[in-house]
Amino acid sequence: MAAGPSAPGSKPVPAAKDSNCLAGLSFVFTGELSAFSREEATDLAKRFGGRVVSQPSSRTDYVVLGADAGPSKLAAIKKNNLKTLDEDGFLNLIATRVPDYTDDKLKKKIEKEQDAIRAAANELERREKEIEKKVKGKEKGKDQISNTVPLGSQLWVDRYSPHTLKEVCGNKGQIEKLQQWLNDWPSSLKSGFKKPGKNAMNTSRAVLITGPPGIGKTTAAHLCAKLAGFTPIELNASDARSKRLVENSTNVSNTSLDGWMHGTEATNAAGVKITDKSCLIMDEVDGMSAGDRGGVVALVALIRKTKIPIICIANDRGAQKLKPLIANAFNLPFRRPEAAAIRSRLLTIAFKEKMKVPANVIDQLVMGAQSDIRQVLNMLSTWKLSNNAIDFDQGKDLSKMNEKYTVLTPFDVTYKMLGPYMFSATARETLGDKMELYFHDPSFVPLFMQENYLKTQPSRIKNDAGPEKTLKHLELMDKAASSLSDGDLVDALIHGPEQHWSLMPLHAVCSTIRPASFLYGSGGGYGGQNPMSFPAWLGQNSKQSKLNRELMDMQARMRLKVSSDRHELRQSYIPALFPYVVKPLMDEGVSAVGTVITRMDDYFLNRDDWDTLVELGLDEYKDEVVLKKITPATKTGLTRKYNAADHPIAFHKATDLGKVPKKLAAQGPAPDLEEAP
Amino acid sequence: MSLWVDCYRPKSLDELHYHESLSARLRSLAASGDFPHMLFYGPSGAGKKTRIACTLKELFGKGVEKLKIDQRVFLTPSRRKLDVNVVQSNFHLEITPSEVGNYDRVVIQELLKEIAQTQQVDINARHRFKVVVINEADSLTRDAQAALRRTMEKYMSNMRIILCANSTSKLIAPIKSRCLLVRVAAPTEEEMVTVMKHVASRQNFRIEDESVVCEIARDAEGNLRKALLVFEALKMQTGSLNGPITIAKPDWETYCIKVGDMITQEQSPQRVMDVRTKLYELLSHCIPPTVILKTIAARVVEKVDESLKADIMHWAAVYEVRMRVGNKKIFHLEAWVVKVMSIYKHFFYGIDMGSFE
Ligand SMILES: Nc1ncnc2c1ncn2[C@@H]1O[C@H](COP(=O)(O)OP(=O)(O)OP(=O)(O)O)[C@@H](O)[C@H]1O
Ligand SMILES: Nc1ncnc2c1ncn2[C@@H]1O[C@H](COP(=O)(O)OP(=O)(O)OP(=O)(O)O)[C@@H](O)[C@H]1O
Ligand SMILES: [Mg+2]
Repeated sequence: MAAGPSAPGSKPVPAAKDSNCLAGLSFVFTGELSAFSREEATDLAKRFGGRVVSQPSSRTDYVVLGADAGPSKLAAIKKNNLKTLDEDGFLNLIATRVPDYTDDKLKKKIEKEQDAIRAAANELERREKEIEKKVKGKEKGKDQISNTVPLGSQLWVDRYSPHTLKEVCGNKGQIEKLQQWLNDWPSSLKSGFKKPGKNAMNTSRAVLITGPPGIGKTTAAHLCAKLAGFTPIELNASDARSKRLVENSTNVSNTSLDGWMHGTEATNAAGVKITDKSCLIMDEVDGMSAGDRGGVVALVALIRKTKIPIICIANDRGAQKLKPLIANAFNLPFRRPEAAAIRSRLLTIAFKEKMKVPANVIDQLVMGAQSDIRQVLNMLSTWKLSNNAIDFDQGKDLSKMNEKYTVLTPFDVTYKMLGPYMFSATARETLGDKMELYFHDPSFVPLFMQENYLKTQPSRIKNDAGPEKTLKHLELMDKAASSLSDGDLVDALIHGPEQHWSLMPLHAVCSTIRPASFLYGSGGGYGGQNPMSFPAWLGQNSKQSKLNRELMDMQARMRLKVSSDRHELRQSYIPALFPYVVKPLMDEGVSAVGTVITRMDDYFLNRDDWDTLVELGLDEYKDEVVLKKITPATKTGLTRKYNAADHPIAFHKATDLGKVPKKLAAQGPAPDLEEAP
Repeated sequence: MSLWVDCYRPKSLDELHYHESLSARLRSLAASGDFPHMLFYGPSGAGKKTRIACTLKELFGKGVEKLKIDQRVFLTPSRRKLDVNVVQSNFHLEITPSEVGNYDRVVIQELLKEIAQTQQVDINARHRFKVVVINEADSLTRDAQAALRRTMEKYMSNMRIILCANSTSKLIAPIKSRCLLVRVAAPTEEEMVTVMKHVASRQNFRIEDESVVCEIARDAEGNLRKALLVFEALKMQTGSLNGPITIAKPDWETYCIKVGDMITQEQSPQRVMDVRTKLYELLSHCIPPTVILKTIAARVVEKVDESLKADIMHWAAVYEVRMRVGNKKIFHLEAWVVKVMSIYKHFFYGIDMGSFE
């Protein structure tokens, strides 16, 4: 096994014979290497043109094996009879391999790709020239002031916005459906939206496109509308839409939609002409001003009777306010396009801009931006201002810089923290990075840590065996648990009367980082044998407060008879009362109800207190155990008989008496504790 | 009928068993007309509240036995409703400020101000002042204690305060200095036996086997309430109260013992998590964390080698202190459990390896 002392940075990256030496190969990484972290290793593979996939399949060329490889991956290797490499083997491959450019297949493939890119770039060039000419012509003719900005000063995202459907990357199927629906619109309208059509879409008067930003939703909607012969009218979040605006802008309340159809032309509030060849695009519907449900409701009302197609676009399909819309429109979710689907488009644009950007850098950027094409274009165009080429490392930095700040869930943080990589010798995360993780959710992360810190197979003891391993494991657990205990003390200072917020970093260390530093390791993962779980503390804590409140109520009622406080009540009285107010019902059933109620009355206990008393039991008095031995008939007997009579009452609840609560002054500054008596 | 503990609770200083000299002192204090603020302290079930009630009766007469409960509601600045139960007679009232947690200071101030401003209406009252009994005084926040200090001086003319606590260690010095300290020590085993005999005679039965009551007294560890409750339970179970008997432990104690055994049976991450589940169960069922820790520790210590006992108790004390300061008790309970497991296992293997030599 490749165990032994892990030695970060102990091996240099070999000089490759060819900068694209891993081209055409796909890799899977599993387990931990000794000199490189997982991230560094995958980077290497990508840097030299290889592909890295997460799960091995029959098409995987190599699996790079480190220590503690995942069992599922090992199984897949066996099943598919895959080639494996250790760390040195992998480095050696980089140092020695030369892609077989003479291989016809590979050669042709590369050539074909480059031809396609060149052709597409030429097409872009040609189109721009044409537009420029047109603009000039218009200017000569002193037409209206053109709203076209000179191409050179346009943002890349606008300049290279797709003009044909072919140029839109990804989501082909969805786009085709949209196209079909728009093409069918006239006949759907004629049939009264009764014929479902090929995609079962033609009964809908509206479509709802949802998906993450920058993947071409708006673009696709406009293009499809234009190609189907419609004039898109777009309303988006920047037109502060309200219910009224939605109605006005479509003249729903003034002129009926039929008016637009039969009258020659109608104009909406925004001054756009509406004809039967208009298509309404409601962009960013989830941005309709917060709380303005009216907007969506008006939109739905509009959809119910519209005679022009309506395309709605939103980012978050799950948003509460979109509920009515989802029910009234055909849903077309858009996905993030795969890197492969975007690559050639971006390469084309880069080529056209005379930028040298290798394909693996493009992939890197796309990954970093989570397929947000808009963002990648913006990154490239800013880069172009100072550079004409971009290499792998620069690409990496660039996408790091632009990394969307995503908030990790406490699950993710805990998984990362306790996982085998964060503290391994090859890890590159600084203390600051680890603290960042804590700050994703400082109130929850520590709870998650406490819940899950014992679920790992600690990496620190993976080379030990027998009693020594057991003892070391317990020592690590001990250190982690006492650090968690420290963390709670710090937490008490932070949330105590003095609110020492400045202690947060210390809390991060005690509650999260130190415990993980002892016990990190494999096994705690989502699929591992001990999956992470949600902290039990929250549920237990609220259960405790509930029972405590009930116990306090009970104590208040018993107070006239009993001198004990609530703790003694729980610890001594309840076990002592049990044989008188609960046990008889278990042993004798309904016949005992009378004596039980007399006992309860002696102590001013009501029917709810009886439940509390049972609920508070543990062990052989545990409520489940006890209630199993009391028949439902007995229980209803108790309720009925109790309700049938009057009972002595210790006091009435203030709220029942209609007392008005007295407002307490704010706590004010704490009195000076050190002042002399 | 109520339980014996409540039935046969002494109602006046004369009826009180044991600590006779204390009773005499309280009697003369009540007669003197110069009644100070007082702090009654002593372990649970030693008879503090009983003694306070008797003293009040001595001060004001039978009227203090006519109790009613008045529930008051307060609204915090954050608009949370707080219920406060005030037990009162015409002459005194009793509050438990720990019911309102961190708001104890403002609630106490509000209530005391009110009382101080109303004069004694009963013209036949023997004293001009009213007495305010504050229960669980040792869980008053420091803020509340500090605020109480001024109040105790300011309203001396028409109010006396009696604090009731288990120990004085958590009360600030200025409070202690304003009170007459009254220690109510736990009764001895013989004293408890006497009380039980007295109860038996009131119940019209004779204790034939004295060893049984002695056993009960020993088991109660100075808690007379516990002794009387067990006494009655056993009588009900066995009828005759003739030995040999086994004193049934309350549900939570049995549960704690099981947890203690889990710790000594196996030491592993999984076992810690299983123990955690049980600890949660105890906590959520209103067993105070310190009681849990003490009971489990006692069981563990019973089971382990002599040489480990001191160490284990030391860590129990350390984590008990931590629990008092911290918020999430389970963190500290669990840290103790892990510590004990580690100590235990090291000892275990220490012996094993030694035997190989
Ligand atoms: N699938 C795509 N193919 C080609 N270019 C794209 C694609 N998606 C986005 N782009 C580029 O990004 C720009 C922005 O895309 P678009 O406005 O359609 O994004 P969107 O999905 O509507 O995002 P948002 O949800 O933020 O409104 C386009 O002008 C185009 O230059
Ligand atoms: N001096 C006494 N003589 C006889 N019985 C007594 C005496 N003192 C207490 N008891 C009995 O012990 C029981 C418990 O006493 P009490 O409630 O006063 O204890 P406490 O010290 O206030 O306990 P805690 O601190 O738990 O509130 C009483 O109900 C009563 O039956
Ligand atoms: Mg958009």
